[in-house]
Order: sequence, then structure tokens, then C-alpha cells
Amino acid sequence: MNPAQGPIFNTEEHAQELTILERVWRHPRGIFGWLSFTTHQAIGMRYIVTAFIFLLAGGIEALLMRTQLAFPNNTFLGPDRYNEIFTTHGTTMMFLFAVPVMEGMAVYLVPLMLGTRNVAFPRLNAFGYWMYLGGCLFLYWGVFTNTAPDIGWFAYPPLSGPEFSPGKRPDFWAQMITFTEVSAMCVAAEIIATIFKMRAPGMSLNRIPMYCWSMLVQSFMVIFAMPAIMIASSMLLSDRTVSTHFVNPAEGGDPLMFQHVFWFFGHPEVYIIFIPALGMVSSIVISSSRRQVFGYTAIVLSLIATGFIGFGLWVHHMFATGLPQIGEAYFTAASMMIAITSGVQIFCWIATLWTGRLRMTAAMYFVFGFIAIFVLGGLTGVVLASVPLDLQVHDTYFVVAHFHYVLIGGALFPLFGAFHHWFPKMTGQMIDEKLGKITFWILFMGFNLTFFPMHILGLKGMPRRVYTYPPDMGWAAASGLATVGAFVIAIGGLLFIANVLWSRKHGKLAGNNPWDADSLEWAAASPPKNYNFAYLPAVTSRYPLWVAPEDQVIVTGLRNDRREVLVTTLMDAEPHHRYVLPPPSIWPFLTAVAVTIGFAGSVFNAWYITWGSILSGICFIGWFWPRRPVELEP
Amino acid sequence: MTGTRTIDVSGLKPWNISIQAPLWWGQLSIILIEATMFSILIATYFYTRLRMDVWPPPGDRFPGLLLPSLALIPLILSAGGSYLASEAAKKNDRPGMIIGLGLNLILAILFFVLRVIEWHSLNFNWMEDIYGSFVWAFLGLHSFDYIAGLVETVVFLVIILGGRYAERERLGIHVDSLVWYFIVGIWIPIYIVIYWGPHLVETAQ
Repeated sequence: MNPAQGPIFNTEEHAQELTILERVWRHPRGIFGWLSFTTHQAIGMRYIVTAFIFLLAGGIEALLMRTQLAFPNNTFLGPDRYNEIFTTHGTTMMFLFAVPVMEGMAVYLVPLMLGTRNVAFPRLNAFGYWMYLGGCLFLYWGVFTNTAPDIGWFAYPPLSGPEFSPGKRPDFWAQMITFTEVSAMCVAAEIIATIFKMRAPGMSLNRIPMYCWSMLVQSFMVIFAMPAIMIASSMLLSDRTVSTHFVNPAEGGDPLMFQHVFWFFGHPEVYIIFIPALGMVSSIVISSSRRQVFGYTAIVLSLIATGFIGFGLWVHHMFATGLPQIGEAYFTAASMMIAITSGVQIFCWIATLWTGRLRMTAAMYFVFGFIAIFVLGGLTGVVLASVPLDLQVHDTYFVVAHFHYVLIGGALFPLFGAFHHWFPKMTGQMIDEKLGKITFWILFMGFNLTFFPMHILGLKGMPRRVYTYPPDMGWAAASGLATVGAFVIAIGGLLFIANVLWSRKHGKLAGNNPWDADSLEWAAASPPKNYNFAYLPAVTSRYPLWVAPEDQVIVTGLRNDRREVLVTTLMDAEPHHRYVLPPPSIWPFLTAVAVTIGFAGSVFNAWYITWGSILSGICFIGWFWPRRPVELEP
Repeated sequence: MTGTRTIDVSGLKPWNISIQAPLWWGQLSIILIEATMFSILIATYFYTRLRMDVWPPPGDRFPGLLLPSLALIPLILSAGGSYLASEAAKKNDRPGMIIGLGLNLILAILFFVLRVIEWHSLNFNWMEDIYGSFVWAFLGLHSFDYIAGLVETVVFLVIILGGRYAERERLGIHVDSLVWYFIVGIWIPIYIVIYWGPHLVETAQ
């Protein structure tokens, strides 16, 4: 469908409407204007670019660690610096890259896929981004002032408690969590409202694009998982700053409780990263095999089931803490159940690919790489779910190998695939396919070279988080190989960046739908206009762009002289009422600054929470205060 | 593309002050987040309790029942004020909104005064031991939400009294009532856990 060529309007009238839309959705100018952007494409792009910068930072930290571990008794990094770097690496990758980049992709893609003009709460969206940026700057402020956390990305007490970690390092970790969780929750709330209430007319629940389903499940997981980590990190922080005793065993507190609460978040966190990746894979598979997906219902139900089971697995991170055996048995069974839901999806994709007319794009290379690596990571996951085996390899490099296989294989490869797939939509230019495929092979080989030897290191007993090892342990060869692999990955990363920059400059123009794909984002211009669609689309099928053009439907009658969108009903997406989105505003930025003052200050003085609350209260009032002139005529 | 069909939505009303508004769903998500937070806090409270032999730790006295129970009356009634304001907002009935919000505000302040009085009767603070940390975490977090809710009510009251409002603000009042029901509703389980729980389960001190 190409609503821009809407037929029932004469060209002159149409051009007039477009001018009005352009004016109403124009970005404000100047530096204050730039801080006031609220369109989802701009905010989504900011998320993605920021997240990739921190992927680079996390990658550099990984290289530093691998350099240190290349030889036995290496002195490249001291133990203290090494502790800081592995903690910052894990924290950056989880909180500043993986979750935010998934949120950013969703912020960019979901409104386009649903056929609407923006997310439901554009200002909250902007606020969420500024909070995320605040968290990034806060953690790296610590890194560059020798206050980087050195307690592991999970900050277990009592090591992270006031007794064993004096100074401010764990405080920076704990408060960075709060920043990024606020941001993730903002995105979750707006994605849920957008998917529930702002779908194109006709997009009933059973026609929602697979990626949007995955984001819906992910958003609910954020809502139920993230509060746990806020509780855990706040307990730790208040123990350290206002002398509470939540995790202080001397006064009845319990460090194990921290582990429970942390992993009640921490395990779903893995799925918060992984489930959007599954949605991306489904989208790429559908458009590349040029057929309807095999087992839509089965895949959707698997996604939802994964979301539920994901909350029943946390104790498998704690098998070594001496829990009751019945508990361990339950969590072993639940952990193995995940293999069923993941298996169903993989078989559905294989069936789709097998019976489709496969087109081997660079994105598809990454999808195949994902399947290979993720299946291997899944297999070691089944190993780790079994208590006796887990106890044997607990806290060794086997675990490091496993979670890099599932996280890089399960999230990063699909993300790179998605990036190659949607690059034409986001920039209007094609990304170089040949370079993309070379990037894939370098990353794939580098990845396996780095992480496969870690399985062996783990089985040979090399513990995690050691800054060096003696030569007679027999770990040197595999360790050295892993270091070589890490630098191969770095070359792949550089090639990817080069490809993006080259394609931005020389890439062929993409047109609206270079892949001849099925979902609505491909009906918008590439890159999309701020208002996405000149006329909002309505859908009659699960694959709206594969419907014959004469059967495609568009929505007319929305007012274009303000940011109006259509609200539809939850189940059947019947048009219900028109809804006016707010214009750009500086308040989200100011509010984020106020909250940042409160959060960052509280590390040094608890009273900052009060001052920050008052300041942000004032900002929220400014945010909500009726605009002038008040629109009395709706 | 000559055959493209259209759906004309110009006849649909702009804004809708009901469960159909996206804002209602956004607010529901925020409430789910906060409810999860309080649930986890309750779970950790019981987790810690089960690992302690003596509860509360020696020296602490359980809070009394009278004042907190009495305070429930204005608290629950204040939700009625919210309800009136929200219904009035749907009908664009300005006096109704003012009465509802005013009622909400007065009763909510009354509850908070009783709470502050009660604070002074507690013989422990959060630095004492784990029990003190938990009780004050419940009180602190809930009070934080409570004050935020109060400020919201004041802001709406000022806007409605000023008369410069439209659908957006009326929708705000409707959705705000949802927040207030939550703040009132979540207090009931917390109240039972921290005030009744010890008296029902623990042996007499």
C-alpha cells in the first residue's frame, strides 16, 4: 500500500495536506529544540546510536581483559583495575547496551509496524531516553574518576556492602541501575499502551506483527522484573548510605535475599534482551523466505510461555548457595522447559525457511548464525540446569562461555541481522550486502574462536573473574586462542562500522520496500517522515503489504493541523476515537535533569533524594500544565 | 491504486475519558510496576522474618493498632472523593470535580497527619536493625507515593479552579483517580502485614 499516492484525492489537495502534516510534525529548531524532540524515530535513533557507542566501550573493556589474560602471569592490568574493568564490561553490556538497544529498536519500529504516527506517550519516551543517557554518563563518570564498580555486574553483598567495599564504587553501580530501569519502564509502559490502543484499524490481536508480539511480552516482563532490581539495588544503596540493614547479616539482614531478588530480575532480564531478538528473527525470516510464517499461533504462544517461565528460573543461578533440594529440582525442571518453547520457535522458522523462496541476504546470514550459536548455547544451558553438573562448573569459564553463547548468539546476532534488515528503512539507503556478509563471517569465526575454548577452560577448572593465572595450569593455549578470537571480533566490529559509514555515503537509494516485505513499516517512506504515513493505513490481513493493492485500505478524516492519531479497541482494533499527541517540549529533558540531580547526588548525600524529588515535582507540574491557548474546541 | 478503499474517521469524537484512552493503559502499567515493587518488598519482609528467631529484634516494640486503624477511615473515604471527581470529569461537571478533588484532598491530609503522629510512637528507626529497616521502607516508599498523589490532586484542583482546562485535563483527573485507588488499595495489605501481622502471628512480647 502506498497511501502517499492516495487516489481519491486530487493531487493539489493532497500536496496541501502534506504541507500541513510537514509543518505540524516539524522538529523544533536550535539547541533547545533539539532537546525537545518527541518523535519516535528521532528518540529511537538516539537510543540506538548511544547504545552502539556503549557497545564499543564494553567491547574495548573486553579487549583489555583478553589482553591481560593472553599469557600466564601477565601484568598488563593489575587486579584492582581488572576488577573494575570486568564489572564495567558486564554492567555496560547488560544495562547500557543490550536492554536500551532493544528498547530503541522497538521505539523506532513498533509505531511504524502498527501503522500509527508516534508512540502513545511521546514525552515520556523522550524522558526515558534522557534518563538512560543520565545513567550512561553517571557510570562512566565513575569509570573516569577511578570509582568504577569492582564488585561484578551483580554486586553481591557482603562484598558490595559498606564493610568490604568502602568508598563510592558500588554506589555508582547501584544508582546507575535506577537510571536505566526508569528508562526501561518508561518504554515498557508506552509500548504496551501503543500496541494495545493504537494499532491500525483491522489489526486484531491475531494480526499483530510477530515483532510487536515479542515487544509486548518483553514490556510485560520489564514491568514485573525491573522493580525487583530497583528494590535490590536500593536496599544495597540504603545500607551503604543511610545505614539500613537489609543485607547486613550482623543486624538480621541477609545477603542471600539480595541474590534472590537480584536474580528474580536477573533471569527475566536475559529474556528481556532475548525475546525482542526472537521477534526480529521472525520478521527477517518472513520477509526473506517470502511466505507467511509457519505456525503463527505456536510462535506467539511460545513467546508468551517463555515470558511466564522466565520468572520461574532464577534459582538456577544460585544452585551453589545450598538451597533445599526440592527447590533445586523444581528450578531444574523449569529451566529445561525453556528448551521446549525455544525449540518450537526454531522448528517453526526452519519450516518457514524450508518451504519458502529463500533469499540469502546479509540479515539471513546473521539469522542462521543465531540459530547455530544459540542452539549450542541452549545445549550448555541444559547442562547448567542440572544441579550436579552446575556445581562442577559453577563460577568457571564454562558459565562465561554459556552466557556469551546465549547472549551474543541469542541477542547480538539477531540484532545485527535486524540492523542490516532495517537499515534501508532507517536511512533510506541500502547497506552493502557483500560487506555485510563478510562482517558476518568474521564475527561468526571470531565469536567461536573466543568463546568455544572457554568451555574447555571451564571444564579444566579455570575460575571466572581472576586477573591472571600461573603457567602450569594448562590454561595458556585456550586462553591465548580466546584472546586472538576477541581481536577477530574487534575487526568484524570495525568492518561493521565502516560498512555503516560507507553505506550512509554511497549506499544505493532503498525506496519504500526494498525487500518486498509484508509489514506496515515498509509502506512508509525510507527514512520515514516525522508523521510516518500521509494517511494512516488500515489492514485486512496478517501481511498487509502482500494484499493486492486494490484491497488495501487507508484511513481518512483525521485532523492534520494537530498531532492527531487514531485509537482503536484492544481486541479487534475497531476505530474508537481520535487522540491528540502533545507537541515537542523541553520539560522531559528538564525533568530528567532534575531526577538526575536527585539520583546522582544521593550517592554522596541522602538529602539529595529530597531536593531531587522537589525539583522533579516542579518539572512534572510544568510538564503537565495546560498549554496556552487551551484547546477548548476538540 | 484506483481501487483503494478508505475508512472515514472524521465522525469519531476526539478524546475519550474512559478505559479506552491510551493514557489509562499507561497509568495501569505504572501501577503494575509499583504494585510489583511493593509485593517484592512484602516477600522480602517475610523471607527475612522466617530466618529470624526473635521478631522483632529485642528492644523494638510492635506499632500499636489503634491509630493506623483509625487512619484507614479517612484514607478509604478519600478514594470516594477521587471517584466523585473522576465521574464529574467524564461529564465535564466543574463543581463536581472541585467537590470531589477537595474531599479527596482534605481526607488525604487527615490520614497523613494521623500517620505522622503515629511515626512518633514508633520506638525504633531504620538504622536500628532489619525490622526497623523494613517498617521504615514500607512507610517511606508509601509516603513518597502518597505525597506525589497529594501534589497531583492539588495541581488538578488549582487547574480546575482556574477554569483553563479542556479534555486533556479532564482525562488527567479520570486517570489520576486510578492512581489514588492504587495508593489507597496498596496500603491495605501493607497495613495488614506491618500492623496486624505481628499481632496475629507472633507470640506476645
